[in-house]
Order: sequence, then C-alpha cells, then structure tokens
Amino acid sequence: MNERSHDSFEERSRALFNDSVEGLDYALRSRLTQARHAAIEAASANRRSWFSRIGVWTPAAGVTAAAVLGAFLWLGSPLGQHAVTLADGQSNLEDLEIVASTDEGSADTLDMLQDDIEFYDWAEKTANTGPAA
Amino acid sequence: MPRFATLNEAWMVWDGPAPAPEGAVLEYTRELEKFLAEIERRAFRMAQIALRDPDDAMDAVQDAMLKLARNYASRPSGEWRPLFYRILENGIRDQQRRRSVRKRFMTWLPGPKEDPEGEAQDPLENVADAAPAIPEALMQGQAMQQLEESLRALPARQREAFMLRNFEGLDVAETASAMGCSEGSVKTHYSRAVHSLREQLGEVW
Repeated sequence: MNERSHDSFEERSRALFNDSVEGLDYALRSRLTQARHAAIEAASANRRSWFSRIGVWTPAAGVTAAAVLGAFLWLGSPLGQHAVTLADGQSNLEDLEIVASTDEGSADTLDMLQDDIEFYDWAEKTANTGPAA
Repeated sequence: MPRFATLNEAWMVWDGPAPAPEGAVLEYTRELEKFLAEIERRAFRMAQIALRDPDDAMDAVQDAMLKLARNYASRPSGEWRPLFYRILENGIRDQQRRRSVRKRFMTWLPGPKEDPEGEAQDPLENVADAAPAIPEALMQGQAMQQLEESLRALPARQREAFMLRNFEGLDVAETASAMGCSEGSVKTHYSRAVHSLREQLGEVW
C-alpha cells in the first residue's frame, strides 16, 4: 500500500468527519453550549475563590510574619538575650545591674561591651573551667 | 472612596470576601471559552464514535470540560488541547468499563436479555423518512457510518491515535501527551489503525 493511497484515505476520512461535525443538529449544539457555559462558570468560581482565599489569608500571613520577625529581633538583640538569660542565674542578674548602674550613658556602655568582647569571652570561658593553674 | 483615607483603611473595615480582579478573570475565561467553543463539536463527535450513545458522549464531553476548567485552566493555553483530550479519553474508557460491568451484571439477573448490540431497538428507525434523501449526502452518510463502525472495531489505543491525529489534527507529541504514551507508540498505533481501516474500507470506498 503506497503513501498516496494512505494520504487520500486519511483526507477522505477527515473530510467525512468534518462534514458530520457540521451536520450536528441544533439540540446537540445547544447542549454543548450549555455544557461550555457551565464549565466557564465553574472556572470563574474557582478562580474567584482562589483570589478570595488570598484576600483572607494575606493580612493574617502578614500579621504572623510581623510577629515572628519581632520575636526574632527581640530574642536576637543583646537586650533580648539578657532578658532570656536573666532567669538562668543570679550572676547574670548581677552583671546586668553592674552594667545598668554605671554612671556613664548606655551608648558608652554598649561601646565598652563591643570593645571588650574578647575579654568577656575569655572571662566567661575561664569562669566555666575554674581557676587557672 | 470618600469614607477612607487609604486603601488599607478600607480593607480593615471590609469583612466580605476579596473581589477577584475582574480584568484577569474576564481575560482568562474568554480565552477558555474560545478554546472550548472551538473543540466541543469535534470532541462530541469523537466521543460519540467511541461510545455510540449521544447522551453518554455528551456526559463525557461535559465532564471533560468541567475538569479542564476546574483543575487545569491555570496551565498555559497551549497545553489545554492535549490535556482536554486526555481527560476525555479517560472519561470514555471509564464509561466503556462501566458499561461492560453493567452488561455482565445484567446477564445474571432474570428477565429479558439485552440485544447483542447492547442497545434497544428504536421504533423510529423503521419509519420512512418523509423528505427525499439527497443521494450524495446519503452516500456520505453511509460512508461515515461505515467509517464509524470500523473505528469502533479497532483496539481502543489505535482508535484514539487515529482520531486525535487525523480528525483533531494533533501532532505526534501532542497525541502522545493526550494518550499518555511515547511518540513511538503513537506512530505505531496510528500506522496500524490506518492499515486496518484501509483494509476494511478499501473495497467499499
């Protein structure tokens, strides 16, 4: 069977199919139109509910994100760290009192902490391992 | 909006669902509607060829339209056609499976058996048509009927490949996507379908 007879067979069958599509009666066409409208309505409702879900959840998500960020900043800041560690022991409280009771301003205190951070680090390690030999 | 100084203030007072951006929905539904309008009749005829019954075919097409609109409308419109036909072919296969189960169940029950063709005789078929038949249209109608019978006799995958490629004009890749198989399988199914149909209809055509 050669290619040409295949092609003509395919063309003929396609033409017959197209004719049968054109020949669909009005009742069937009308039912198809109704089915299409129902599908479009379903798609629109779907999309609207998707948008409305976004509308409802966006403010909630924003508030949650802000709360998490606030907590993170608070706990991550030096003040927050002190707040958390206050309950850990009396010595920390005393440290805080010493820092707070200084006559100098708080900015100077912070500068001192920054400048001497290596010292405090060393002092903490030393205190945890006991007196140096 | 005179009551509110800013849009945020308005949102704080509003307690209903958020309005959809009408422009976006309109654009998208218009495109989907155009696509469905283009294919609905062809899809119906293809379903009717496979299922024979127009009501079953209508159900399959309606179901495919709804599923596409609900689940896949957000996909790029270029993907709609293979997706739609995949859903439709699955629906057709489900209907055929249900029908064969029903038929098996009916044979167990006492009472009148279904006729071997699986459909009741329509009394209107025996009534003579009042209008004179146009010979050419009649011949075309008969040829299409023969083609439909031959297509129904094909294995399902060959029928699907033939209808999607030849009737719907999908390319090999799209047909493979619609049928859920490889491009090589599509070529094999299609070639076998054409060969079988040609053999069956060659003498008549």
